[in-house]
Amino acid sequence: MTTTTWTTRRGTLAQSASMAARSLASIKNNPATLIEFFMIPLMILLSITFFMGGQMMGSWQDFLQYAGPTIIVMGLFFAIPSTGLSLFADLKSGVFDRLTAMPVSRFALLGGRVGADMVKHTWALLVVGGVAFAIGYRADGGVLGVLAAVGVVLLFMFSVSWSMVLVGLTAKTEDQIQTWMIALLMPLSYTSTAFIEVETLPGAIQWLAEINPLTALSETVRDLLNGDAPGGYFLALLGWCAGAVAVFVPLSLRAYRRKLTN
Amino acid sequence: MQHAIEVRGLTKAFGNVRALDGVDLTAPAGSVLGVLGPNGAGKTTAVRVLSTLTVPDGGTARVLGLDVVAQAGEVRHRIGLTGQYAGLDHDLTGEQNLVLLARMLGASRAQAKARAAELLERFDLVHAASRAAGKYSGGMRRRLDLAASIVRRPEVLFLDEPTTGLDPKSRNGLWDVVRDLVAEGTTVLLTTQYLEEADQLADSIAVIDAGRVIASGAPTELKQMVGGLVLRMRPVRPEAMTQLADLANWTIGARAKLEEGEAIVPVAHAGEATAVMSRVTQAGIDLVSFGLDEPTLDEVFLTLTGHRAESATEEEVTA
Ligand SMILES: Nc1ncnc2c1ncn2[C@@H]1O[C@H](COP(=O)(O)OP(=O)(O)O)[C@@H](O)[C@H]1O
Ligand SMILES: [Mg+2]
Repeated sequence: MTTTTWTTRRGTLAQSASMAARSLASIKNNPATLIEFFMIPLMILLSITFFMGGQMMGSWQDFLQYAGPTIIVMGLFFAIPSTGLSLFADLKSGVFDRLTAMPVSRFALLGGRVGADMVKHTWALLVVGGVAFAIGYRADGGVLGVLAAVGVVLLFMFSVSWSMVLVGLTAKTEDQIQTWMIALLMPLSYTSTAFIEVETLPGAIQWLAEINPLTALSETVRDLLNGDAPGGYFLALLGWCAGAVAVFVPLSLRAYRRKLTN
Repeated sequence: MQHAIEVRGLTKAFGNVRALDGVDLTAPAGSVLGVLGPNGAGKTTAVRVLSTLTVPDGGTARVLGLDVVAQAGEVRHRIGLTGQYAGLDHDLTGEQNLVLLARMLGASRAQAKARAAELLERFDLVHAASRAAGKYSGGMRRRLDLAASIVRRPEVLFLDEPTTGLDPKSRNGLWDVVRDLVAEGTTVLLTTQYLEEADQLADSIAVIDAGRVIASGAPTELKQMVGGLVLRMRPVRPEAMTQLADLANWTIGARAKLEEGEAIVPVAHAGEATAVMSRVTQAGIDLVSFGLDEPTLDEVFLTLTGHRAESATEEEVTA
C-alpha cells in the first residue's frame, strides 16, 4: 500500500469545485437529465407567449419582445428550491456524514451544491434564451447588453440560492421545503414588475412592488437588454444580492454546525 | 502507553432517550475493539461522537490523544469512518466515488485516479469500477464503502455494523479485509450485533446495552464469565468411558460427566484440554471424535443482561 500523503494544498474553492463536479457527474452518467433543467422555464416561456401573449398585447411577437426576458427570469427563479431539495437529499444520503468526518471545508460542502446548481441555471438560461432568440426576440442592447443581463441574473440566482441552502439544512421534511417555496416565491413574483406595471397594483402593494428584489432584477434586466444605462434598480439589486449572501451564508454555516450537536 | 481510543463517562441524550449513559471505552493502538450490543444500544451514537459527527452532552472522548470536540479538526485528519448506512453517492460510479474523496483530501487528479485504481483492485471491484454505486450488490457496496473510508489511510478506523445484512460469504470476505487493515497497524473500533463477529475480529469487546457498558474484556474473559470450556470425548468402545473419567480426574482434577456415549470434561482453558488429550493418547484409548466447545457470546449476553440479544435484522440495511 502506498503511503498516501497528498501534499497538494486544495483550498475551499477547489474543494467546492470538486463537490460541484460531483453533483454534476450524474449528468455525465445520465445525459438525458440535461433536458430536465430547462423544461420548466422553456414551457413557461412558450405557453405564456403563445397562449396569452396575443390576448395581452395584440400579437405574441410584441408580447415576447416586451415580456420575454422577465418571463425567462421568472421560470429560472422557480428552479431555486431545487438547491434546497438536493441539499436535503444529500444530507440524508450518508455521503455528507462521510465528508463531514473528513478534513473538508464546511463551506465547500454547501458551496459545491450552489456551484453545481449555478451550472444548471446557466445551461437553462442559455437554452431558453436561445429559443427566445430563435422565435424572434431581439435585444436593442446587443451582445453586450445580453451578456450583462445574463451576468446580473446569475448573480441574483447565486445570492438567493443561499436562502435555499439554509432551508435545506433546517427543513425537517421535503414537503416543508416545497411549502416554503410556494409561500415565498408566489407573493414575490406577483408583486414584482416581472409581468405587470407598478401603476396597475393597489396602492399598498405598489410600495411592496417597489422594494421587491424581483422588481429590481426585472427592471435591471430590461434596462440592460434595451441598451439603457442601469440605474437605481441596479444598485438596489446589488444591495439585495450582497445582503442575501451576508445573511444566508453565515446562517447556513451555523445551521450546519448545529446539525452536528444533535 | 497512549491509547488510540479513550472514552470516559460519555453521555448523550436525544430528548428523553439516553443514547449514551456514561460509556467508558479503551483501545490500545493497533488493536481491534468490538462494541457489541443489540439494536438501539447506542453503538451508532458512540461511533458518531468518536468520528466528530455528534457532539456529546458530557464526558470525554479522545482519539489518538485528541479531544473529539475541542480538536475535531485534527481528529478528522487521522480517522476513517464507515457508517451504518453506506456513505456513497449512488449516482456516481465506484471509481468516481473514490476519486471524489481523494480529491477532497488534497490529491491531484492523477493521484486520485491512481489511488482509486489501487483500492478498486484491492477490494476486488475493478470489474464494477464504472458502474453506478447504486447498482452494486450489498457485499460490493460494503467493500466500496470500506475502500472509501481508507482513501487516505486512517490511523483509527470506525466501522459501524460493517456486515449487517450480508450473506456469509461476503461477510467472510469483509472480515479478511478488516484483518488486513489491522495487520497494517490500523486501530479499529467495530460495532456489531453479531456475537461471532466480535469474537472473530476483536481483541477486546465492550458489551453495551441501553447506553451503558455492561461488560468488557477479551473475548475469552467474557466467555469465562458464563463458565469455561468443555472437552467432549466419544470413545470407540463405550466401556472406555469410566477410564476417560479417571484420566481426567487424575490429570487436572476435573469431574467428568458421562452422558450418551460422551465424556464431558469441564476445563479452565485449552491447555488443560491438551493435557487430558495427551494422557488419553498415551493410554491408547481410541476416540471416534473429540472437541473443545466454547460457550457462545449469545449465552454471555443472556447472562449479562437477562435478555437475549435481538438477532441482527435486515431491516437495518438500506438498499
Ligand atoms: N438523532 C436521533 N434522534 C433521536 N433519537 C436518536 C437519534 N439517534 C439515536 N437515537 C436513539 O438513541 C438510541 C441509541 O441509538 P443508536 O446509537 O442508533 O443505537 P444502535 O446503533 O446501537 O442501534 C435509540 O433509542 C435511538 O432511537
Ligand atoms: Mg446503529
